[in-house]
Amino acid sequence: MRRSLNITPVPGAAAAEALPRIVAFVEEMAELDDWAPDLVLRSNLILEELILNTLTHGRTSGLSDIEVTLDTGVDSVTITVVDDGAEFDPLNDKPSPDTELPLQERSIGGLGLHLVRTMAEDLEYQHADGKNRLTLVARAGA
Amino acid sequence: MELAQERDSGTNVISPAGRVDGSNSADFHEALAAAIADDDSRVILDMGGIDYISSAGLRVLLLVAQRLGGSSTPFAVCSLAASVDEVFRISGFNQIITVYGTLDEAKAQLA
Repeated sequence: MRRSLNITPVPGAAAAEALPRIVAFVEEMAELDDWAPDLVLRSNLILEELILNTLTHGRTSGLSDIEVTLDTGVDSVTITVVDDGAEFDPLNDKPSPDTELPLQERSIGGLGLHLVRTMAEDLEYQHADGKNRLTLVARAGA
Repeated sequence: MELAQERDSGTNVISPAGRVDGSNSADFHEALAAAIADDDSRVILDMGGIDYISSAGLRVLLLVAQRLGGSSTPFAVCSLAASVDEVFRISGFNQIITVYGTLDEAKAQLA
């Protein structure tokens, strides 16, 4: 099954207010298409990181819509996120954080996108017609 | 954010339950900070009740681990669900925070 959800940024609202809708959308798809539990968790995580990233970091300038599409495959889901905000390539934003640093030197910056890039497969980013389009695949199992 | 707590001769065992995401990570941080006392001799975070943690939740764990590291208070997490363990491994948190399989192991070995 293939379904889309549109998220419209609300001026002044906290980015995290978009989260319950994402969670509900993923859970609805998961139930309809009988996803494995780990696929649900991975899809949720990928979407949370991507969408909170888009809704924060000053990226809301000119942003009026984020469209999330989920397309269930065999033990996998293809996730497409299209937004009309400022051009931003999450695959080449900055290098992944150094995950080998000692405790007191670690910072959290960039970890969300690092999780997405590591956990997802077949990631593709395009900027066309004034829109950011990211496609990736989340897979069940190890 | 539900959070149970038990102190036994200086060992503070904190057991949160539910999801930790961008919508409740500030509450999670506040609850954890309030549950930790300066004179705790060890702090164990039993994550068995958490099945979802995003980078917002990792940020809280990092801040708590850094605070406890700064005061040289032994700190560990235990009982990670497979999904949480995966996030820990990808982010390298298993190298900066001590992880035990079970609460009993953590109580026996954390020093």
